[in-house]
Amino acid sequence: MSSVTSGHSVPAATSPETRNSVRPPGSAKNPVRRSVRNLVRRSVRRPWRLAAEVSALLIAAVVAFPLYWMVLSAFKPAGEIESTRPRPWTLSPTLDSFRRVFEQQEFGRYFLNSLVVAVSVVVASALVAFLAATAVTRFRFRFRTTLLIMFLIAQMVPIEALTIPLFFQMRDLGQLNTLGALILPHIAFSLPFAIWMLRGFVKAVPEALEEAAYIDGASRTRFLWQILFPLVLPGLVATSVFSFISAWNDFLFAKSFIISDTSQSTLPMALLVFYKPDDPDWGGVMAGSTVMTIPVLIFFVLVQRRLVSGLGGAVKD
Amino acid sequence: MKFAHLFARTAAPIAALVVAGLTATACAPESSDNSGGKDEKSGTLRVWLFQEVTNAPKEKVVDSVVTAFEKAHEGTEVDVQYIPVETRAEKIKAAFNDPESAPDLIEYGNTDTAGYVKDGGLADVTEEFTDWSESKDTDPTAKQSVTVDGKIYGAPYFVGVRALYYRTDVFEELGLGVPRTQDELIGTARKIRQAKPELYGLAVGGAYTYGAMPFIWANGGEIAEGKGGSYASTIDSAQARKGIKAYTSLFGDDNCPAAKCAGMGGNDTVTAFASGKAGMAIGGDFSHAAIEAGKVKGKYAVVPLPGVESGDIAPAFAGGNNLGVLNSTSHRTLAVDLMEQLASKRTQGALFDAMGFLPTFTDVRQDVAKREPFVEPFVKTLGAGAKFVPASPAWSQIDASLVLPTMFQEIVSGRKDVEAASADAAKKMNTAFSSAG
Amino acid sequence: MSRMTNRPLPDSVPSPGGGRTPKEPAGPAAAPAPVPAGLPGAAPGPVPGPASPASPAATAVRPAAGPGPVGSPSSGAARRGTRPGRGGPGRRSPLARGGWTPWLYLAPALVVIGGLLVYPVYQLGLISFLEYTQAQVSGGQPTTFQGLGNYAALFRDEQFWQVLLATVVFAAACVVSTLAVGCALAVLLTRVRAVPRLALMLAALGAWATPAVTGSTVWLLLFDPDFGPVNRVLGLGDHSWTYDRYSAFALVLLEVVWCSFPFVMVTVYAGIRAVPSEVLEAASLDGASQWRIWRSVLAPMLRPILVVVTIQSVIWDFKVFTQIYVMTNGGGIAGQNLVLNVYAYQKAFASSQYSLGSAIGVVMLLILLAVTLVYLRLLRRQGEEL
Repeated sequence: MSSVTSGHSVPAATSPETRNSVRPPGSAKNPVRRSVRNLVRRSVRRPWRLAAEVSALLIAAVVAFPLYWMVLSAFKPAGEIESTRPRPWTLSPTLDSFRRVFEQQEFGRYFLNSLVVAVSVVVASALVAFLAATAVTRFRFRFRTTLLIMFLIAQMVPIEALTIPLFFQMRDLGQLNTLGALILPHIAFSLPFAIWMLRGFVKAVPEALEEAAYIDGASRTRFLWQILFPLVLPGLVATSVFSFISAWNDFLFAKSFIISDTSQSTLPMALLVFYKPDDPDWGGVMAGSTVMTIPVLIFFVLVQRRLVSGLGGAVKD
Repeated sequence: MKFAHLFARTAAPIAALVVAGLTATACAPESSDNSGGKDEKSGTLRVWLFQEVTNAPKEKVVDSVVTAFEKAHEGTEVDVQYIPVETRAEKIKAAFNDPESAPDLIEYGNTDTAGYVKDGGLADVTEEFTDWSESKDTDPTAKQSVTVDGKIYGAPYFVGVRALYYRTDVFEELGLGVPRTQDELIGTARKIRQAKPELYGLAVGGAYTYGAMPFIWANGGEIAEGKGGSYASTIDSAQARKGIKAYTSLFGDDNCPAAKCAGMGGNDTVTAFASGKAGMAIGGDFSHAAIEAGKVKGKYAVVPLPGVESGDIAPAFAGGNNLGVLNSTSHRTLAVDLMEQLASKRTQGALFDAMGFLPTFTDVRQDVAKREPFVEPFVKTLGAGAKFVPASPAWSQIDASLVLPTMFQEIVSGRKDVEAASADAAKKMNTAFSSAG
Repeated sequence: MSRMTNRPLPDSVPSPGGGRTPKEPAGPAAAPAPVPAGLPGAAPGPVPGPASPASPAATAVRPAAGPGPVGSPSSGAARRGTRPGRGGPGRRSPLARGGWTPWLYLAPALVVIGGLLVYPVYQLGLISFLEYTQAQVSGGQPTTFQGLGNYAALFRDEQFWQVLLATVVFAAACVVSTLAVGCALAVLLTRVRAVPRLALMLAALGAWATPAVTGSTVWLLLFDPDFGPVNRVLGLGDHSWTYDRYSAFALVLLEVVWCSFPFVMVTVYAGIRAVPSEVLEAASLDGASQWRIWRSVLAPMLRPILVVVTIQSVIWDFKVFTQIYVMTNGGGIAGQNLVLNVYAYQKAFASSQYSLGSAIGVVMLLILLAVTLVYLRLLRRQGEEL
């Protein structure tokens, strides 16, 4: 589980040896291992590596192409999008589509709504899952294994299938037409996976550390929030990616629970206003899509490294 | 004892209690209380109207009514939202389910009246409607469309009837005459497509139920026949099948390619015609504004849709929309008042000018027909006898579960033949009729 | 990880808490007692009093994490650290039994999951046994118990079986494609230098980050018969991808694979990186082919990871809703592209047959439950400790 604490967050600038070595991100963690890996690399014959690198670049281009086309179409003037000879560039980029999106709809407001939903879900589920993961990994108590299996099973529950009962439940709680109707179920649905994933991170923190903390007079709460929490943070970040995506992307609940109050609408619903199957406003759809994708993209790039190590750590254990 | 510790002692039992409490009350989800009860004289009135292909003129008329209404009733605000016609079923169902977020006043298609009444969603406004001075001029057919079991559940908003739009410039260029029979109509459509492959001859849609209906009716078919309130589907009768065959023969590369047209609905065909992509289309009086706003302005004319024999008019669907007050409203008096304002003779006149919606008052209709000759074919069509869908509460469900569009699409895409598809559709409809009682 | 336990602890151990009573060795209940600042969520930062020695302990951990002053243990030692606390002196933590404390920690999670997951599942089951249509919902008619009536109606419905079959086949195709693409690209990532790796990683993250609604509309535009670049490049004229049943499914599959392979790729890549390089080196020196190395060396070592990503993919792909709903406009021509989720939604919210929709939901739930049980068995067989 060394990956958990491989601490990309800690610049370790104090150590001269790290300062001098320029390492590609995510390379092997110690010199010995690195040289071994280089040895392996060197032994791969050159033409093969070249072919591999060329294909990696090509695949990257193919994978990125839909996103490129999205952004491109968002900036194209209307005449160029609805042209039967689409060109992969534009000589006259314009903000018209964005303007239309923001004027015709309260897109800013929907953006904010989406953000409120996603951030509430991320924060709440991270905290709750952290506590629960600590409980199931650092304590032995009755029904512990049963609970774990239940979390695992809960993770499999298809949330879409629960739209019907949740609709009535949200109605009875008076949450329909409010963002709460989106936040509450998403917290519940992201918890089991988050707990399951965090388990590995919490487990990785040595128990001796805990003992030492107590011997030093730290309270359990203090250990929890000031020692354990920072150590588990990379795992929390990796976990929050999933809850963020599920909340930010939510389409079905927004469609079903936000019945009449369009001021509580979120981005996916607002986007589809421009997408009418008979006569889609492609420029508007793409501009809206761009606006909707960028925050997630930023979030991903920010947590990218932690995500890699986090996922590796979580599933390895 | 330290707080954290105390909390530790109590939290788990509390949690258990909460969970237990949640499950203890667990019977079926409660029914929503749709009675409303209160009748407040101020506050916010929520109104849902349908979003039209070109909505701006409608909004303008509605806004002026709303402004006057708000001025007349101090402390009252009106919040109008335009909802897409395609998803109206889900939206309105949801509104019935949750009175909290439901609107006070809705526009609804007259085919949904029976279903909504059965769902307990619409308020009985018989008294107010009868007392309303303007209601005596309401066209009897329109009045029938808001009536269930002798009680009135709303005010007719406009009459919708469909006729044949065609491109005068294309017809002239190709030397075509206006089709007088159904066979001529189909032949003309193919000629247009052949000469101008970039156009659909007659724009049709696999999901355009009300455009297909006249073909069935013209051939003597019926959707369903009812005796004493219980219905049985006759969509698989020989006559109905003839009509289905005629309509589905229009899908193909020689008129309207199935790959594109199978998925289209009524609005799509109108959009295609308005943007100059079709030689003909079956459009309503209510489509007039959208087509005027499109590329074909000044290059089209309208005639009644021809029947089987020369000179016949294919029976059109007596469509139209109504305004209704929801049972759950807590502003009943205000909502009924606003309903009358929005459905008044004056508003209907203005809506006609803006959108081409045919008024539901006989006198207003005569007035506008004099003013606007384009109304003539529609009035003629109405005069030749328009038909209605089965007045059963099951119709809403049949409509929402896309029974007829599925039938047309199955035939058009070659998955089933007319016999099999219509038999399946009849089966599904009968199930719905019998479950609706 | 074990390395961090060596250094910082001795420093902090001898401070017995500023002259206060020495701590009892185990007492989970007693542990918090002498500490005044013990409320959950206490502000971080040094708290005066006996608790302060904990702060150095906390910070001491961090430098140890990086390749820092703790020295450079061999990779073997680092690896052994994946099971921490087990070889150490405190074999069984004295804190293992916490009385009510674990339940306190669990309480919020249990309340939320119980109220918003378990309870709705119960309700779902309940509704599926009732006659529950619009009339019942709005109170027009009393709800009646139907027994298995809804299920009988559902199983008689020919379309249901078609949709079920389509869902299973579609999900299977998605899972297989996603795994194949994800694993292949993960291996590729380990074979290339930093620049191509970064490019591919960023592109994949972009696809991953794209919301389902957005992805669906973008792919529709790419394959649009009139304005899309794909038909131009392939010279397909105005071929409509969504008209034919299979090409519509194929289009949705492409989108699903595009947005879900990155999870597999990143996870497997992280897994491969954790494989000791000696093993790869040895295999490589033996002249084994890439496929051979994957089959005989990597795949067995990555088995736990592969199981996880497979199960996750099964769950996600079985539940696809947005893509089908948006890309085939609610289920395709004559409902040809319906999958269970969309079918249930249409039944419930369009036709207001809530009980039938719930019955479909229960069927989905049972299928996924079966998958879960298989998963659990696999985990157990691997000797995974829960």
